[in-house]
Amino acid sequence: MWRPFARRAGGRPFQRAPEAEVDDELAFHLEQREREYRARGLGAEAARAAALARFGDVGGVRRECAQLLEDDRRAAARRDWLGDLRQDLRYGVRSALRTPLFSLLAVLTLALGIGANAAVFGVVKSVLLDALPYADADRLVRVYAQFDASDMERSSISPGAATDLAGRLRSFAGVAAFNFTTFDVAYAAEGGARLLSGTAVTDGFFPTLGVRAALGRTLAGAADAAAAASVVMLSDAAWRREFGGEPGVIGRTLRIDRRSYEVVGVLPPGFVGPMGDADLFFPLDLRPVLRDPAAARDEHWLGVVGRLAPGVRIDAAQRETDRLAAELAREHPGTDRGRRFVVLPLRDAMVGETRTPLLVLMTSAALVLLIACANLAGALLSRTISRRKEFAVRVALGAGRGRLVRQLLTESTVLALAGGAAGVLLAALGLSVLRGLALPALPAYAELALDSGALLFTSLLAMATGLAFGVAPALAVSRANVQGTLRDETRGASEGRRSRRLRGVLVASQIALSLSLLVGAGLLVRSLGAMAGAPLGFDPDGVLTARVQLPQASYPTPERRAVVFRQLHERLAALPGVRGVASVTQIPSPTMSRNALTIEGVALDGDGPTFIPYMAVSDDYFRLMAIRLLQGRTFGAEDAPDAPPAIVISETMARRYWPKGGAVGARVRISPHTAERWGVVVGVVRDVRVDPALPTPEPMAYASNRQDDLWNGRDFLLRTRGDPLALVKPAQRELAALDPAVPLRNPTPLRAIVDERLAGRRLPVLLMTAFGALALLLASVGVYAMFASMAAAREREFGVRVALGSSRRAIAALVLRQGAAWMAVGLAGGAVGVVLVARLLRGLLYGVAPFDPVTLAAAVALLAACAAVALLAPVRRATRVDPITVLR
Amino acid sequence: MFDKESGLLQGTLDLLVLKTLSWGPMHGYGIASWIEGATGDVLRVEEGSLYPALYRMARKGWIKGEWGVSENNRKAKYYQLTAEGRRQLREQTSGWERFAAAVTRAVGSTQAPAWAK
Repeated sequence: MWRPFARRAGGRPFQRAPEAEVDDELAFHLEQREREYRARGLGAEAARAAALARFGDVGGVRRECAQLLEDDRRAAARRDWLGDLRQDLRYGVRSALRTPLFSLLAVLTLALGIGANAAVFGVVKSVLLDALPYADADRLVRVYAQFDASDMERSSISPGAATDLAGRLRSFAGVAAFNFTTFDVAYAAEGGARLLSGTAVTDGFFPTLGVRAALGRTLAGAADAAAAASVVMLSDAAWRREFGGEPGVIGRTLRIDRRSYEVVGVLPPGFVGPMGDADLFFPLDLRPVLRDPAAARDEHWLGVVGRLAPGVRIDAAQRETDRLAAELAREHPGTDRGRRFVVLPLRDAMVGETRTPLLVLMTSAALVLLIACANLAGALLSRTISRRKEFAVRVALGAGRGRLVRQLLTESTVLALAGGAAGVLLAALGLSVLRGLALPALPAYAELALDSGALLFTSLLAMATGLAFGVAPALAVSRANVQGTLRDETRGASEGRRSRRLRGVLVASQIALSLSLLVGAGLLVRSLGAMAGAPLGFDPDGVLTARVQLPQASYPTPERRAVVFRQLHERLAALPGVRGVASVTQIPSPTMSRNALTIEGVALDGDGPTFIPYMAVSDDYFRLMAIRLLQGRTFGAEDAPDAPPAIVISETMARRYWPKGGAVGARVRISPHTAERWGVVVGVVRDVRVDPALPTPEPMAYASNRQDDLWNGRDFLLRTRGDPLALVKPAQRELAALDPAVPLRNPTPLRAIVDERLAGRRLPVLLMTAFGALALLLASVGVYAMFASMAAAREREFGVRVALGSSRRAIAALVLRQGAAWMAVGLAGGAVGVVLVARLLRGLLYGVAPFDPVTLAAAVALLAACAAVALLAPVRRATRVDPITVLR
Repeated sequence: MFDKESGLLQGTLDLLVLKTLSWGPMHGYGIASWIEGATGDVLRVEEGSLYPALYRMARKGWIKGEWGVSENNRKAKYYQLTAEGRRQLREQTSGWERFAAAVTRAVGSTQAPAWAK
């Protein structure tokens, strides 16, 4: 009786317009009614009229029903779409599993690209994007001094100048000063002396930053400093570590460097000062210092932060500080000439030199991802071509083009999501590696974590990648000519010119990107090589360093300190395994103190004071560090405290200030040691590079620590037989025997200190090299895939050629010519990339030109070699084509 | 309370259609004829209400229309109950029975209310 005849097949190919369908239905109804009336005896005309009359408003019903049907269909389409999506997903997963090698490669390639991006983005976000731990941090600036006659771009500021900055500028709503660096203090804990890092801050430091105490109160500046009992604030980390997060710590009295301090507050978690991580915050009162004219303007040891006044832009603030610098130079010509102030956003100041390397890394990671995408697009394209027939059949059976494109997109998205998931795992892994490598190189507030932002970024990246590399094959499909394909495929013609060109472009862009990355990596590697390879000027191997800081309270006079230092020196020298002992005010370091230099009869370049690295050393320092003497003598017993101050200078200093020779015997002053009387240059030694990351050594001066005894602390250097760290315990025992309250600070092998200084430089090099290697690998796979599928697609053609008498050599030349053309295009594109990379990297290079011919040649050769290897297999396969098998 | 066009109690037409289709798939004309026959021609189904009602019920998923061939070999749209339609029929039937019983009881009541005394 009732037979359904139109079942839905695939999409809805046989659906008609709603109006037409309603019309049919109503027409049937009217016809049936008419037939009924006729059966009752009415004439044809009358029956029709009666049927219509009985029905009523046909037009109205028709409109209403058509509308309802259309709504219904729209809803059904939405349901279908979801159903199709489910089907696509199932199909996508199935087809991914059907070609496990391809899928594995695709997922791995993507995982590498996405993982690298997510890891680097985690770092970039924590350093460049995350908020600083201050209120309204965008309005905060850091003020540095810059001296015309000094190489340092960001110098500390004298108390006098800091006070003038705070008092005389309208551009700032608040200005505060703090110790430029942190210092170590000995805290007498119940379990023995503990070494904590401390800093001192003026009033208004916390209000300027907009930071409130998490517990207790912040420092009240001058009021606290003037009060009878000294006070201190704890960082959250120190509070948890030293006091177990006990709220009762407020009001407790701590013994620090033999003085008593009352704890008044604890800072919120995550707070880091612009001076770096500190455990203890002491109040800093500049008033006593300001009363001493020399100390007020001649000693530069403060960092300054400011909050811009509402509506003031940073360039306006810079202009006002420029005017102030000029005024100060007029008011204090002896001390404030030749100095300008630099106003920098606080974030830039804290990010420091990290920004460029991070941006370079981010770019490299993005390039790797691009290469990965190009690879996948190429691979998917090949797969699409080999599936052309399947698609043609499906189109012939009624599948819509849109539907096919969507399925391809779904398939690539499935791969992308799998790749993204694997990438997140890789990123987590990568970040834990980075944490070990990068922390010393990153600003103190940076916390490396794979946070939700990074994950979101990654998933978006995965989706975008899926869509992006799904597009190329999808376009190829939608252009496919069904009939032609079905016919061609049975005949087995070569792949179309269009897809060949698309594939060629993909490979060319991979080669271009890889070349850029390789050149970048090569330049950085050569820079690092130049840095690490350039002689330091001293021998850091087998030397243990440790600092001894004698508290002012127990050792108030230079004489008392000298006695302890001498005794410790003798005790350490007597330890078994120690070949030599030396002590020095500060081991060579990029942040070592620089002192003002004056030379008798020589006008120094530039306006204002000249600062050079300076240290007071023991007699055996040069021998122990293997710093060669070039002229004159080093220090000895004749340099007694009351003898004329002896000065030893470095080669560079001799060359710069006595270009015609005659440095030995010249008279110089280095404040504060020889501020009152002239010192005499007694010798010239080889240069020492205080910053291994900087190419040229700075001029440097030494005094004997028998004569310059103003310092409370010394670094002891022990040249050891065997492992330097084996001497840490014995050295601690010797110090404890002299004074159990004084801890041995920071015992570290000198080699480790030097290496750590290069860590910041090594990180981008290491990562970019890794990216370069990754790019090379991916590009090689890409080249291989291109030639393999090209050769496969033309197998029949080659067979014909061979059958017609073409030699194998000619076939190989054919394949190579096609590939070589695209590689040439890639290398040409790479040349553009190289220019961009060189510009981006310029600031990071050292001892190597941005267009270093060695690096360029090496990168091109490496790339060509890898491509050649990748070519080998497909070309061999092409020449081995057996005409009989192929043509059959 | 009564539909303007059909003069039927609202929802009654739906119930009658569901009931009709519980016998098997049928086209609109057949549904109208069956209802008229089953109610002894007491209820005359207005076509103007029947077709929109059918489309509305199809949208709700109670019934499903498919094109088929009628007994006299004409193309016609046949409606049949879905599982949801069957459930609706059960529910609406018992609802109708309770409603009809209640109205009957009230209309047939012989006990006067207190205020009428």
